[in-house]
Amino acid sequence: MKEKIRIVDERTVEVDLPNMNGYERIAMECSASFAKIGGLSKERIEDLKTAVSEACLNAMEHGNKGRPEARVVISMHLGDKDFRVSVKDEGNGIPHVPQNIDIRRKVAKLEPPNGLGLYLIQQLVDRVDFNEKTDGGHVVKMVLKMECQTAPCPCDEDQTPTVIEGKR
Amino acid sequence: MEQTNQFQLKQQNDVTVLHIQGDITAQSEPVINEAYKKADDQGAAQKILVQFEEDAYINSGGIAVLIQILAHTQKKNQQIGITGLSDHFKKIFNMVGISKFAGIYNTVEDALEAMS
Repeated sequence: MKEKIRIVDERTVEVDLPNMNGYERIAMECSASFAKIGGLSKERIEDLKTAVSEACLNAMEHGNKGRPEARVVISMHLGDKDFRVSVKDEGNGIPHVPQNIDIRRKVAKLEPPNGLGLYLIQQLVDRVDFNEKTDGGHVVKMVLKMECQTAPCPCDEDQTPTVIEGKR
Repeated sequence: MEQTNQFQLKQQNDVTVLHIQGDITAQSEPVINEAYKKADDQGAAQKILVQFEEDAYINSGGIAVLIQILAHTQKKNQQIGITGLSDHFKKIFNMVGISKFAGIYNTVEDALEAMS
Protein backbone atom coordinates (compact mmCIF):
# COMPACT_ATOMS: atom_id res chain seq x y z
CA MET A 1 0.00 0.00 0.00
CA LYS A 2 1.40 3.38 -0.97
CA GLU A 3 1.95 5.69 1.99
CA LYS A 4 -0.50 8.57 2.07
CA ILE A 5 1.98 10.97 3.65
CA ARG A 6 5.43 10.42 2.26
CA ILE A 7 8.76 12.06 2.99
CA VAL A 8 10.22 11.70 -0.49
CA ASP A 9 13.53 13.26 0.55
CA GLU A 10 14.61 15.91 3.05
CA ARG A 11 13.20 18.64 0.86
CA THR A 12 10.07 17.03 -0.56
CA VAL A 13 6.91 15.80 1.11
CA GLU A 14 3.91 14.30 -0.61
CA VAL A 15 0.36 14.01 0.78
CA ASP A 16 -2.28 11.86 -0.90
CA LEU A 17 -5.78 12.80 0.23
CA PRO A 18 -9.20 11.24 -0.23
CA ASN A 19 -11.61 13.47 -2.11
CA MET A 20 -13.49 14.58 1.01
CA ASN A 21 -14.15 18.06 2.36
CA GLY A 22 -12.30 18.51 5.58
CA TYR A 23 -9.26 16.52 4.58
CA GLU A 24 -7.64 19.60 3.08
CA ARG A 25 -6.80 20.44 6.71
CA ILE A 26 -4.17 17.69 6.64
CA ALA A 27 -2.44 19.28 3.64
CA MET A 28 -2.69 22.71 5.28
CA GLU A 29 -1.04 21.63 8.52
CA CYS A 30 1.56 19.51 6.76
CA SER A 31 2.60 22.37 4.47
CA ALA A 32 2.66 24.78 7.42
CA SER A 33 4.94 22.52 9.45
CA PHE A 34 7.27 21.95 6.53
CA ALA A 35 7.42 25.64 5.63
CA LYS A 36 8.18 26.46 9.25
CA ILE A 37 11.23 24.22 9.04
CA GLY A 38 12.33 26.30 6.06
CA GLY A 39 11.95 29.54 7.98
CA LEU A 40 8.85 30.98 6.32
CA SER A 41 7.38 33.72 8.53
CA LYS A 42 4.27 33.21 10.63
CA GLU A 43 2.22 35.54 8.42
CA ARG A 44 3.32 33.82 5.21
CA ILE A 45 2.60 30.43 6.70
CA GLU A 46 -0.98 31.55 7.27
CA ASP A 47 -1.10 32.71 3.63
CA LEU A 48 0.27 29.33 2.58
CA LYS A 49 -2.30 27.40 4.61
CA THR A 50 -5.21 29.28 3.07
CA ALA A 51 -3.79 28.94 -0.44
CA VAL A 52 -3.28 25.19 0.01
CA SER A 53 -6.77 24.83 1.47
CA GLU A 54 -8.38 26.65 -1.44
CA ALA A 55 -6.38 24.72 -4.03
CA CYS A 56 -7.38 21.42 -2.42
CA LEU A 57 -11.04 22.39 -2.19
CA ASN A 58 -11.03 23.43 -5.84
CA ALA A 59 -9.40 20.11 -6.75
CA MET A 60 -11.97 18.13 -4.76
CA GLU A 61 -15.09 19.97 -5.88
CA HIS A 62 -14.29 21.00 -9.42
CA GLY A 63 -11.31 19.00 -10.66
CA ASN A 64 -12.50 15.71 -9.19
CA LYS A 65 -16.16 16.74 -9.36
CA GLY A 66 -16.77 15.46 -5.86
CA ARG A 67 -16.13 11.86 -6.87
CA PRO A 68 -15.46 9.88 -3.70
CA GLU A 69 -13.05 7.50 -5.41
CA ALA A 70 -10.82 10.30 -6.72
CA ARG A 71 -7.70 11.54 -4.96
CA VAL A 72 -5.94 14.86 -4.49
CA VAL A 73 -2.15 14.68 -4.33
CA ILE A 74 -0.21 17.54 -2.81
CA SER A 75 3.52 17.79 -3.28
CA MET A 76 5.62 20.27 -1.29
CA HIS A 77 9.21 21.22 -1.98
CA LEU A 78 11.43 23.29 0.26
CA GLY A 79 13.91 25.16 -1.90
CA ASP A 80 16.74 27.45 -0.85
CA LYS A 81 14.80 30.51 -1.95
CA ASP A 82 11.20 29.41 -2.08
CA PHE A 83 8.56 26.95 -0.95
CA ARG A 84 6.65 25.24 -3.73
CA VAL A 85 3.36 23.40 -3.48
CA SER A 86 1.58 21.60 -6.27
CA VAL A 87 -1.97 20.29 -5.96
CA LYS A 88 -2.98 17.61 -8.43
CA ASP A 89 -6.47 16.41 -9.24
CA GLU A 90 -7.88 14.02 -11.83
CA GLY A 91 -9.71 16.66 -13.85
CA ASN A 92 -9.19 18.55 -17.06
CA GLY A 93 -8.14 21.93 -15.79
CA ILE A 94 -9.72 25.20 -14.80
CA PRO A 95 -11.74 26.77 -17.63
CA HIS A 96 -11.77 30.27 -16.18
CA VAL A 97 -9.54 31.89 -13.59
CA PRO A 98 -11.04 35.07 -12.15
CA GLN A 99 -8.58 37.94 -11.91
CA ASN A 100 -10.90 40.01 -9.75
CA ILE A 101 -14.07 39.57 -7.77
CA ASP A 102 -16.96 41.96 -7.46
CA ILE A 103 -18.44 41.53 -4.02
CA ARG A 104 -21.08 44.15 -4.68
CA ARG A 105 -22.54 41.95 -7.43
CA LYS A 106 -22.41 38.92 -5.15
CA VAL A 107 -24.15 40.72 -2.29
CA ALA A 108 -26.71 42.06 -4.75
CA LYS A 109 -27.26 38.44 -5.90
CA LEU A 110 -26.33 39.36 -9.45
CA GLU A 111 -23.79 36.55 -9.43
CA PRO A 112 -23.21 33.49 -7.23
CA PRO A 113 -21.49 34.07 -3.88
CA ASN A 114 -18.88 31.39 -4.47
CA GLY A 115 -15.82 31.37 -6.73
CA LEU A 116 -13.52 33.14 -4.28
CA GLY A 117 -10.92 30.42 -3.83
CA LEU A 118 -8.90 30.94 -7.01
CA TYR A 119 -8.89 34.68 -6.46
CA LEU A 120 -7.57 34.24 -2.91
CA ILE A 121 -4.79 31.95 -4.10
CA GLN A 122 -3.53 34.66 -6.47
CA GLN A 123 -3.56 37.22 -3.68
CA LEU A 124 -1.71 35.06 -1.19
CA VAL A 125 1.15 33.44 -3.10
CA ASP A 126 4.01 34.94 -5.12
CA ARG A 127 3.45 32.89 -8.26
CA VAL A 128 0.78 30.46 -9.38
CA ASP A 129 0.32 28.35 -12.48
CA PHE A 130 -3.27 27.24 -12.69
CA ASN A 131 -3.31 25.03 -15.71
CA GLU A 132 -0.49 22.62 -15.97
CA LYS A 133 -1.46 19.21 -17.26
CA THR A 134 0.10 16.04 -15.99
CA ASP A 135 -0.38 12.30 -16.39
CA GLY A 136 -3.96 11.55 -15.48
CA GLY A 137 -4.86 15.01 -14.35
CA HIS A 138 -4.27 18.65 -13.76
CA VAL A 139 -1.97 20.54 -11.39
CA VAL A 140 -2.05 23.91 -9.68
CA LYS A 141 1.48 25.02 -8.79
CA MET A 142 2.09 27.68 -6.17
CA VAL A 143 5.31 29.37 -5.09
CA LEU A 144 6.02 31.39 -1.98
CA LYS A 145 9.37 33.12 -1.85
CA MET A 146 11.38 32.93 1.32
CA GLU A 147 11.77 36.41 2.76
CA CYS A 148 15.18 37.88 2.01
CA GLN A 149 17.18 39.77 4.55
CA THR A 150 18.77 42.14 2.03
CA ALA A 151 17.58 43.80 -1.18
CA PRO A 152 17.53 43.27 -4.11
CA CYS A 153 16.04 39.84 -3.68
CA PRO A 154 17.74 37.07 -5.69
CA CYS A 155 14.52 35.04 -5.59
CA ASP A 156 13.39 36.51 -8.90
CA GLU A 157 16.08 34.73 -10.92
CA ASP A 158 13.94 31.65 -11.51
CA GLN A 159 11.11 32.61 -13.86
CA THR A 160 8.85 30.06 -15.56
CA PRO A 161 6.51 30.87 -18.48
CA THR A 162 2.71 30.96 -18.38
CA VAL A 163 2.37 31.71 -14.73
CA ILE A 164 0.45 34.37 -12.92
CA GLU A 165 2.46 36.61 -10.66
CA GLY A 166 0.77 36.94 -7.29
CA LYS A 167 -0.58 40.25 -6.20
CA ARG A 168 1.65 40.51 -3.11
CA MET B 1 -17.29 14.59 7.12
CA GLU B 2 -19.86 16.14 9.41
CA GLN B 3 -19.09 19.46 10.98
CA THR B 4 -21.10 21.15 13.68
CA ASN B 5 -21.23 24.79 14.54
CA GLN B 6 -22.98 26.17 17.56
CA PHE B 7 -24.21 29.65 18.21
CA GLN B 8 -25.39 31.87 21.03
CA LEU B 9 -27.43 35.04 20.85
CA LYS B 10 -27.02 37.84 23.34
CA GLN B 11 -28.42 41.33 23.47
CA GLN B 12 -25.96 44.07 24.36
CA ASN B 13 -27.85 47.36 24.45
CA ASP B 14 -29.22 47.77 20.93
CA VAL B 15 -26.82 45.29 19.35
CA THR B 16 -27.62 41.60 18.91
CA VAL B 17 -24.40 39.67 19.37
CA LEU B 18 -24.33 36.44 17.40
CA HIS B 19 -21.46 34.27 18.64
CA ILE B 20 -20.71 31.46 16.18
CA GLN B 21 -18.46 28.67 17.38
CA GLY B 22 -16.47 26.37 15.17
CA ASP B 23 -14.96 26.51 11.73
CA ILE B 24 -16.72 28.43 8.99
CA THR B 25 -17.08 26.41 5.79
CA ALA B 26 -19.79 25.61 3.26
CA GLN B 27 -21.03 23.00 5.74
CA SER B 28 -21.81 25.82 8.19
CA GLU B 29 -24.63 27.10 6.01
CA PRO B 30 -27.60 25.54 7.86
CA VAL B 31 -26.40 26.70 11.28
CA ILE B 32 -25.42 30.20 10.16
CA ASN B 33 -28.75 30.62 8.39
CA GLU B 34 -30.59 29.44 11.48
CA ALA B 35 -28.54 31.77 13.67
CA TYR B 36 -29.25 34.77 11.48
CA LYS B 37 -32.95 33.94 11.28
CA LYS B 38 -33.18 33.74 15.09
CA ALA B 39 -31.32 37.04 15.40
CA ASP B 40 -33.59 38.62 12.81
CA ASP B 41 -36.76 37.17 14.34
CA GLN B 42 -36.04 39.00 17.56
CA GLY B 43 -37.63 41.92 15.88
CA ALA B 44 -35.40 44.78 16.87
CA ALA B 45 -32.28 43.27 15.30
CA GLN B 46 -31.22 46.22 13.20
CA LYS B 47 -27.68 45.93 14.52
CA ILE B 48 -26.03 42.53 14.47
CA LEU B 49 -22.49 41.78 15.60
CA VAL B 50 -21.15 38.46 14.37
CA GLN B 51 -18.47 37.11 16.66
CA PHE B 52 -16.23 34.30 15.42
CA GLU B 53 -13.67 32.29 17.34
CA GLU B 54 -10.15 33.54 16.77
CA ASP B 55 -8.76 30.10 16.00
CA ALA B 56 -11.59 29.26 13.60
CA TYR B 57 -10.68 27.96 10.15
CA ILE B 58 -12.56 29.93 7.52
CA ASN B 59 -12.51 28.97 3.87
CA SER B 60 -14.04 30.40 0.71
CA GLY B 61 -17.10 28.19 1.14
CA GLY B 62 -17.74 29.75 4.54
CA ILE B 63 -17.18 33.25 3.18
CA ALA B 64 -19.76 32.51 0.47
CA VAL B 65 -22.28 31.66 3.22
CA LEU B 66 -21.52 34.97 4.92
CA ILE B 67 -21.99 36.82 1.64
CA GLN B 68 -25.46 35.30 1.36
CA ILE B 69 -26.24 36.60 4.84
CA LEU B 70 -24.96 40.04 3.85
CA ALA B 71 -27.38 39.97 0.91
CA HIS B 72 -30.24 39.64 3.43
CA THR B 73 -28.89 42.28 5.79
CA GLN B 74 -28.42 44.78 3.00
CA LYS B 75 -31.99 44.25 1.88
CA LYS B 76 -33.21 44.84 5.44
CA ASN B 77 -30.93 47.79 6.01
CA GLN B 78 -29.30 46.12 8.99
CA GLN B 79 -25.94 47.27 10.34
CA ILE B 80 -23.48 44.39 10.55
CA GLY B 81 -20.28 44.15 12.51
CA ILE B 82 -17.76 41.30 12.61
CA THR B 83 -15.30 40.51 15.34
CA GLY B 84 -13.19 37.61 16.58
CA LEU B 85 -11.17 37.24 13.40
CA SER B 86 -7.45 36.49 13.49
CA ASP B 87 -5.17 39.03 11.78
CA HIS B 88 -4.91 36.67 8.83
CA PHE B 89 -8.67 36.42 8.34
CA LYS B 90 -9.12 40.16 8.81
CA LYS B 91 -6.77 40.43 5.85
CA ILE B 92 -8.77 37.84 3.88
CA PHE B 93 -12.08 39.57 4.61
CA ASN B 94 -10.61 42.88 3.47
CA MET B 95 -9.24 41.26 0.30
CA VAL B 96 -12.63 39.86 -0.57
CA GLY B 97 -14.34 43.18 0.18
CA ILE B 98 -16.55 42.16 3.06
CA SER B 99 -15.41 45.32 4.85
CA LYS B 100 -17.50 47.28 2.33
CA PHE B 101 -20.63 45.78 3.90
CA ALA B 102 -19.66 45.07 7.49
CA GLY B 103 -17.46 46.82 10.02
CA ILE B 104 -14.57 44.60 11.13
CA TYR B 105 -13.52 45.16 14.72
CA ASN B 106 -10.71 43.91 16.90
CA THR B 107 -12.84 43.28 19.98
CA VAL B 108 -16.48 43.02 20.99
CA GLU B 109 -16.05 46.20 23.04
CA ASP B 110 -14.70 48.14 20.05
CA ALA B 111 -17.59 46.87 17.95
CA LEU B 112 -20.27 47.78 20.49
CA GLU B 113 -18.83 51.25 20.89
CA ALA B 114 -18.67 51.82 17.13
CA MET B 115 -22.10 50.38 16.41
CA SER B 116 -23.98 52.22 19.15
